[in-house]
Amino acid sequence: MINLIPIRSVSKNSMKSARIKTLIWIYIFLVPSIVIFLSFYLIPIITVVITSFTKWDGFNRPQFTGLSNFIKLFSSSIFYESLFNLLGWSVIAMTAHVGFGVLVAFVLYRKPFGWKFTRTVFMIPNVISIAAWAMIYKYFFRNDIGILNTFLRIFDSDIQINWFFEAPYAFWAITLTWLFYSVVVTLLVMGDLMAIPESVREGARIDGASAWQMAWYIDLPLCRNAIGVGIICSITARIAMYEVIYLTTNGSRQNNESSGNSRSLDNGRQLRIRKCCSCYNAYRGSFNTLGC
Amino acid sequence: MIYIIKKILGKVFMYSVLIFTIVVSIFPILWIIMSSFKTNGEIMRGPFTLPSSINFNAYKYLFEKYDFLTYTLNSVLVSFLPTFLSLVFFTMGAYVIAKYEFPGKKLFFALFTMTLLVPVHSRTQPIFSLIVNLDLYNTKTGLMLVYLSSGLAMSMFILKNTFQSIPAELNESANIDGAGFCRTFFSINLPLAKTGIITAGVLMFLTNWNEFYYANLLISSSNNRTLPVITILFNSMFNYNYTNTFAALVVVVIPGIIFYALAQRQVQESMISSSIKG
Repeated sequence: MINLIPIRSVSKNSMKSARIKTLIWIYIFLVPSIVIFLSFYLIPIITVVITSFTKWDGFNRPQFTGLSNFIKLFSSSIFYESLFNLLGWSVIAMTAHVGFGVLVAFVLYRKPFGWKFTRTVFMIPNVISIAAWAMIYKYFFRNDIGILNTFLRIFDSDIQINWFFEAPYAFWAITLTWLFYSVVVTLLVMGDLMAIPESVREGARIDGASAWQMAWYIDLPLCRNAIGVGIICSITARIAMYEVIYLTTNGSRQNNESSGNSRSLDNGRQLRIRKCCSCYNAYRGSFNTLGC
Repeated sequence: MIYIIKKILGKVFMYSVLIFTIVVSIFPILWIIMSSFKTNGEIMRGPFTLPSSINFNAYKYLFEKYDFLTYTLNSVLVSFLPTFLSLVFFTMGAYVIAKYEFPGKKLFFALFTMTLLVPVHSRTQPIFSLIVNLDLYNTKTGLMLVYLSSGLAMSMFILKNTFQSIPAELNESANIDGAGFCRTFFSINLPLAKTGIITAGVLMFLTNWNEFYYANLLISSSNNRTLPVITILFNSMFNYNYTNTFAALVVVVIPGIIFYALAQRQVQESMISSSIKG
């Protein structure tokens, strides 16, 4: 069978119809993604925004009530507690969490003995189910059989802290569940580090810089990009952190370790949908104020 | 002399960071594995003690009383199928966005990637209504539909970059040789994008396997349940039988670790790509 190569006629009409044919194929290829986007993202978001201005019990028609949900939200003390927690966690995320990730990246970059193993192991907390992780930590922090208290009782044998259920400790307990697990930041920074050309380091070495000076003055500024991305990711993850809070503390409000997300879902679970929607919107607002 | 001391201190510092990282990452997992072999009394006595004997009683009890096989199979189905379908859809979408110019291209890509900013949990109520209205509550199909959408932003991003790294000359020469649209896609671009597709696929698979929130929300009967949900079942039921709780946690955690061990490099690459938000 002869393979006929079609002769491309240069007439405008055939080029136009070829173009139209391509366009049709393009849109056909796009349709499934667009359908998914519309039904699972766009329409839900619009629904949430619109219903946040209404009073709705889920069955009858929603009644337009203007800004009353938002007023209720902004005058509730729990909202400000959540926001305060969120800000606190964001600050910790920006500094300690990302800082630890950068530190590990720099150490791993020098390739000491066992660095590959460390990198592999460091990822394990990120590949297991977040629910399982939260439960593990729930037992870690328990008063009776938890490891932390057993360890602390070596120093002071009267310690009886119920970490997840007492006021100031719960915040720190939750912080500890994510504080040292910054493998994403480490991977990003290591990628950036490996991209630094050797000539820069050679020059510094010739000028007599010590390893510490090289790390501080050369490597660190050149990793700015990765560190920035790491900070954004970290803060985003704090905002979306729901499973940990819900599973460890049952989202209990008295203990002021809720964050915007778990609060809105707490209410949502009781079918107070208007509050859920207004929380979501105010929470989107707080997200924007963090500068993302 | 001072130089040597400094060097030694430097090395000590480095290795202590290394050891700390390893301990902090692996210790919780080792702890629950060890504790799942101890008896209740041993657990109460002290967390650092080794178990006196390795008995699989807790696991035997779990597998007899609960249908773990069903849960695992459900998890496998609910992770694989949506990942595969998503890959098909998103590869097609990312290909046209990467390779062709058409009206609305920038708009669509911006919309797709902006979904990253939306927290998964805020869409709860509309998605719940949608699934209920489709009469898919408490079915695996409903859950799979939700999972289909969860990887949109990330996969689009990864796949678009993958296709963009395939040189445009290949497409042009295919065009000259007379290949149609589909032919160019299937025979030329798709095989070259394999690594990117695997990266996106691994990421989505892991996300779906470990997903807890919607699995808990949308499925209530025991024979449709997936694996992560069982962790909270044992929250109330096993309040005073810690061995079984730890055994259950181990069962939930181990598949993830095994998968990671098998597909290490892909997982690492997908972690990196998933954070680069263009």
